[in-house]
Amino acid sequence: MTVNRGYGDFRRSALLEKTREVLYSVLPVTLIVVLLHATLTPLETAVLVRFLVGALLVVFGLTFFLLGVDRSIAPLGDLIGERIVRGNRLGPFVIVVFILGFVLTLAEPGLVIFSGQIESSTAGRIDAFALLMVVSIGIGAFLVLALLRIVFKLALYKLLVLLYTLILILGFFAEPEFVVIAFDASGATTGVLAVPFLLAISLGISRLDRSSLSQEQSSFGTIALVSVGAILAVMLYGTFRADTAFIEAPSNHEALNDGVFRVYLHTLSDALFETVLVFFPLFFVFIVVQLFFIEFDPRRFQRFMGGFAYGFSGLFLFLLGVNAGFLEVGSQIGGDLAASGVYVYSIGVAFLLGVVAVIAEPAVYVLTHQVEDVTSGYVSRAAVLVALSIGVGLSVALAALRVFIEPLEVWHYLLPGYALAIGLGYFTPKTFVGLAFDGGGVATGPVIATFVLAFIHGAADQVASADLIRDGFGMIAMVAMMPIVTLQLLGLIFQLKSKKKGV
Amino acid sequence: MAQQESLRPELLCVIVRHGMGGKVLRKGKQLGFKGATIFLGRGSKDYKSRRLHKFDLSESRKEIVLILAERRTVEETIGTLSAHFRFDRPHHGIAFRMPISEIQGSSQFANTTGEKGGKNPMYKAIFVIVDRGRAEDVIDAAYEAGQKGGTIIKARGAGAHETQKLFRMEIAPEKEVVLLLVKVEHCEHVTASIRKRLELDKPGNGLLFTQEVTEAYGLLSEDGTEKE
Repeated sequence: MTVNRGYGDFRRSALLEKTREVLYSVLPVTLIVVLLHATLTPLETAVLVRFLVGALLVVFGLTFFLLGVDRSIAPLGDLIGERIVRGNRLGPFVIVVFILGFVLTLAEPGLVIFSGQIESSTAGRIDAFALLMVVSIGIGAFLVLALLRIVFKLALYKLLVLLYTLILILGFFAEPEFVVIAFDASGATTGVLAVPFLLAISLGISRLDRSSLSQEQSSFGTIALVSVGAILAVMLYGTFRADTAFIEAPSNHEALNDGVFRVYLHTLSDALFETVLVFFPLFFVFIVVQLFFIEFDPRRFQRFMGGFAYGFSGLFLFLLGVNAGFLEVGSQIGGDLAASGVYVYSIGVAFLLGVVAVIAEPAVYVLTHQVEDVTSGYVSRAAVLVALSIGVGLSVALAALRVFIEPLEVWHYLLPGYALAIGLGYFTPKTFVGLAFDGGGVATGPVIATFVLAFIHGAADQVASADLIRDGFGMIAMVAMMPIVTLQLLGLIFQLKSKKKGV
Repeated sequence: MAQQESLRPELLCVIVRHGMGGKVLRKGKQLGFKGATIFLGRGSKDYKSRRLHKFDLSESRKEIVLILAERRTVEETIGTLSAHFRFDRPHHGIAFRMPISEIQGSSQFANTTGEKGGKNPMYKAIFVIVDRGRAEDVIDAAYEAGQKGGTIIKARGAGAHETQKLFRMEIAPEKEVVLLLVKVEHCEHVTASIRKRLELDKPGNGLLFTQEVTEAYGLLSEDGTEKE
């Protein structure tokens, strides 16, 4: 009997497709580290082995995580987006969306850890819980705004100009440290689960639109607006509290150097806890949806549960690999290079690490795929990756430069950077504006926040004049900014190239 | 007369793994096609591999390349294209061509009109348009009738009904298009199964149409060898 093309046994299955793509995204960072080990910064065998084991875990973890996202988080977000719009009533829409944004942020591990760090580095003057609440409320409110923008067809660009102007004005009044905290908090909130979920919600809404052009434009921009929400909320909070004297932070992470794999044991419970924390709210949302709103048929319910299982185990392995394998390598390379005194090496390697690390970010993977799907392949994943990589590479290099040149302040970068980003938005095709501002939020994920941040910390440790906290935290803000510029430039290039040249 | 025959328009359709569409386009240009339209689809889940099916891992993303050209060009190149991309091997893709009756809007075709059907076609292409979420049912029904898989394409319907408005957004109903390739002698059996399962006879449940396929590459029989 003739078979209509057996679509995929193992060799062409979704599993292989994902593994292949994940390999391509994790290999570069692995190769660079091995190369550095062979040339500039020889590592201890134990450290290198841990790193390689970490890389392996990251490959497996990322593969399963992404498979899980495809089967649970993404369809859930998509469905919720569709349902709240189909309700066609403003009141419930606003309430449901606000609660979603609020709950989602409250349990974001990046933010939970970040607020804890802030509390300890300010010796309790800034309360971790208060900060957490402020950011969650900000994000809840701005998620409402972001989704209303889609259904009421407001221009994203105008909203962004307005909001960034507001940030700029507030920036003059708030304490400089609060500015940095604000930008970093926004980077911390758009985490590995929030990004695919938020993207799926906006897609679920915009895909209903009759016009494919506005579909494209409204699919992106939600993460951008949510990030702005976090920044504004923290800045407002910072403006309205008087006493914010900073105290220097304690050292960020103790060196664990006993045995090759002890580190993994130490990290195990942390990674598990973080994974539970991140999955719980969305799983809860799923159960609420199942119980009270949509009763999924058993087949679909099973698919969702399977997806959650894939995603959970994947994220756990991924975090384990990154935290136990990548963190210390980053900090060591950073330290060794800075100690060598040849700053050009440090800055060059910083660029390279930024370029390769961002490719391994889970959220980046999700975003780049969505770009392809939404534009039917017109804007390719590779093009977006190149622009993102260059952007992040540049920002890490600039952050490294700041470690060595003391008078450089974060706002020396951020002010012209955001001015350029906003200015470019005027010329860039509108799909790319949304995509670019989303890209800024998406680039700051767990790989950047551990591996690359540790590199900068390691370097700052070796330089007497450098300030561990300020240099490190500033970097996240930079990583969130540069991709906005480079992705918009990509948009301009696309615009120029796709003009039809005769026939 | 024979020459006129060879100038009749045909549609060449190539389905490949995601990311390969651009390569097919480039190769196609070398072979003399003027252009192509590429869109995304996904391969249906595969019933052959029980293990993958159980773990829900058997779907994969595809790209579909549509090329319009004269019959002569399509006839000459479909084989070359299939050989180049090794469609004779499993999971490398499929290519098929079918007659179409008219092309307009392209300067290279002088509004040629085609014949009604191919000569002794071996395959038929079945297109089923259903509401979003029901493509799986179509695939299931086709499977019951002996089919092993198909390609699913996301689409939007622009029905004759008034468009609905949600907030300030005009919306269009979402659809899925399922493309199945079947042997001519199985076609009726498969369509009957789909019609029954989706109750196509009742209004609003979907549309099904078939078209004769002149030639197809890459359709493999169960032992992996090519059946022509």
